This record gives sequence, structure tokens and C-alpha cells, in this order.
Amino acid sequence: MDLLGTILWPIKWVVELILVAFHYVWTWVGLNPNDGLTWVLSIVGLVLVIRAALIPIFVKQIKSQRKMLEVAPQLKKIQDKYKGKKDQFSREAMSRETMELYKRTGTNPLSSCLPLLLQMPIFFSLFSVLNDAQHEKAGGGVGLLNETLAKSFGESDLFGAPLKATLANNEGSVLVIVFAVSMIALMTASQFITQLQIMSKNQSPEAKNSPMFKQQRILLYILPIVFVFSGVAFPLGVMFYWLTSNFWTMGQQFLVIRNMPTPGSEAAKAREARLAKRGKLVIKDGPLSDETVVDEVPKTTQRQQPVGKNRAKKQGGSK
Amino acid sequence: MTTVPVSAVSWKYALISVFLVPRNVAVVVLRAYRAVISPLYGDVCRYYPSCSSYTLQAIQHRGLSVGAGLGILRIARCHPWAAGGVDDVKPAKNPRYALTPFGFVVPRSHGKG
Repeated sequence: MDLLGTILWPIKWVVELILVAFHYVWTWVGLNPNDGLTWVLSIVGLVLVIRAALIPIFVKQIKSQRKMLEVAPQLKKIQDKYKGKKDQFSREAMSRETMELYKRTGTNPLSSCLPLLLQMPIFFSLFSVLNDAQHEKAGGGVGLLNETLAKSFGESDLFGAPLKATLANNEGSVLVIVFAVSMIALMTASQFITQLQIMSKNQSPEAKNSPMFKQQRILLYILPIVFVFSGVAFPLGVMFYWLTSNFWTMGQQFLVIRNMPTPGSEAAKAREARLAKRGKLVIKDGPLSDETVVDEVPKTTQRQQPVGKNRAKKQGGSK
Repeated sequence: MTTVPVSAVSWKYALISVFLVPRNVAVVVLRAYRAVISPLYGDVCRYYPSCSSYTLQAIQHRGLSVGAGLGILRIARCHPWAAGGVDDVKPAKNPRYALTPFGFVVPRSHGKG
């Protein structure tokens, strides 16, 4: 076994465990174990388990994004310092200073690379099972996906479209082409909506002025092209994984933007308006406002004037 | 100006270039990744330079195997509980090669001798 295989082995093993467990459940419910639908539902189950396991990381990320409010003034200072400087060195220096600030204040809003990389083997092992089936290679996975199950997975078809087929290698089936093309369209649409709702609604005005934002905007239009290219090469089964995952992201993003939007963004204003309509608006600037550092209480040496009892009553009510 | 015969210089140059082939192949792969796949994720890395940029630099300075190893260690460090911050590749003690604008590693002796 090569080095990469050794690193990926545990992840592949867990993927197979979840996949086979779901397959067992669906068979037990009464679905045909060799039918494509059973396997597709197993893939959907796999996505749900993995994405649910990633929720804590997601929540953590949102929390640190909210905490960024605390450092907004310092961040603004850095951005002002490099305002209008578009050369490579200034940009680099700005990124460096921003990163230092995040580290110093413990407010790093970025999600980190490792979880992304851990998701790759999942994709890869699904791909290899289906790919092996396509090339009629015997042998199962590394764990619970034994030879019989792997064969059943590889040879199954959904309403007549084999899960192992790709758009490029469609075995002359019109159904495969229809499935693949509509899935590419759906994937592109969902990714597009996800990105667009983050960018148009859930960005604070400061973030909208940053160069990163403009870069993201360009990406929005490159993404669909990437999907088309990869859609051609991936088997239907793998595309079902991707599609479900995209839908999950879209739903998750929608809920987050609706219920805990970035303070100061359009979505936050919309939420306040919604709450006000129902008469439920509680004035506070976000669920984490108690954690916000308030260091700008003006301290004056001036003595508070004493107020008569009656006058205090008239003024007050607030206390 | 040195008076080394031209053929000797070019032989040395060619040999070093061959030695540099593996890391330059990796440079192409990483550049392609950074141009096509990286953008799909947007900004995720908790460090500066980002993991892929760090790996690219590490491979340029230290060669394919050491550089790739450093890259793997860096990705392992880039988890949701990491503080992040600036984390540069340690520069080589005596830089022997030059970089083209694209990022290819070439022998320093080229041209100026």
C-alpha cells in the first residue's frame, strides 16, 4: 500500500461503514438491495451523516465571524492604511497584518483547510468503487464494502441509468445524458444561489469594500464552467453525492442567513424588520452581544448633578 | 567575467535543470490547482500564506519530497482550532536557484554566469 493509501485508509473505512449501514437499513425497510435507488438513498444518507458531523465546525466558524465585530475598528485601520494600493507587495503586507490581527485577538474567521481535505477521500472512495465497477475490476473496498456489495453498487441502475455511467461514457443511454445534464444544471444552480445569497445579503459593508469580495464575485461566474467540466468525467453515483452535498450547503446557508445574519448586513436588517412586524424585536445587536468587548465608556471627571426626587421620576422610567 | 568555456557552463546548466525537473512539474500542478480548484473554496486558510501557496514555496525552495512533506505538515496544522496567523516557509540557508515570474525554479548561473 502506498503512502497516500495508508493515510486515506481510515477515512475510506468509515465511508464504507456508513454507506453499507444505510444500504442495510434501506434493504431492511423493503427496498431491493441491488436497485440503484437503494444505493442512491445510501449515498444521500452518507452525505447527511457527514454534513451533520461538520455542523459544530460550521457553528464555530460563524461564532468567530461574529466576534470579528470586536476587531472591526482595527481591521478598518489596516484597510485604510492600504487603501488604493493595488500592487502585489501592498496586498501581501495587508494580508499579513490582517492575519496577525486575527491571531492576536483570536478572531480568525476562516474555516481552515484540513476539513476540506478530509472530504476529498470520501469523494474519492465513492469514485473508485464506481470506477472499478465500470472497468469490471473485481474486489471490494477496504472495509465493510465487500466484493458482493461493491459489485451490486457498481452494477445497479436508477430507473435504467447505470450509476457507474458518466456523461462521457454513457453507454449509448439517453437516460444517462438526461440525468447527468440535469444534475449539472442543478448543481450549478444551487452553488450559484448559495454564493449569491452570501454575497448579496450576508456581508457587512466593510467586507463589501474589500478586494476579496470583488474576487469572489468573479468566481461566481467561473464556478458553473468548472461544474460542467467535472460533470462530464464523474459517474452518476458520485454526482448524486455532490448534488446532495450542495443542497445541504444551500439549506444551511439559507437558515444561517435568515436566523443569525452578519450584523450590519442586509439580511440582518431584513430580520429586524421581520421581527418588528411580529412585535418581537428585542433591541440587542446580535446573539453574542454579551461577549462584545466594550472599551469605550467615556470616563469624565465631572460630577453627576444631584436630581430631586420628583424630577428623577419625570426623567426616568428607564431605570 | 570568468573564463569558463561556454560548453562547460551550459553542461552544468543542463544537468541542474534536469535535477530541477520534479519540483518544476510540481510547480505546474500546484499553479493549476491554485488557478482552477482553489477558487472553488474561496478563502478558507487560517494562515498567511495559504496552505497551497506555502506548499508551492516549500517545493520551490526545498525540492519535491521535502517540500511536499512540509506542505502536509502545514495542512495538518490548518484545523478549525488553530489560531492561524503568519507562517512562512523557512528560507533556504544558501539560495542556489532563481525563480521565473511563473514560479519555475531555474539554475542561478543562467545568463549572468
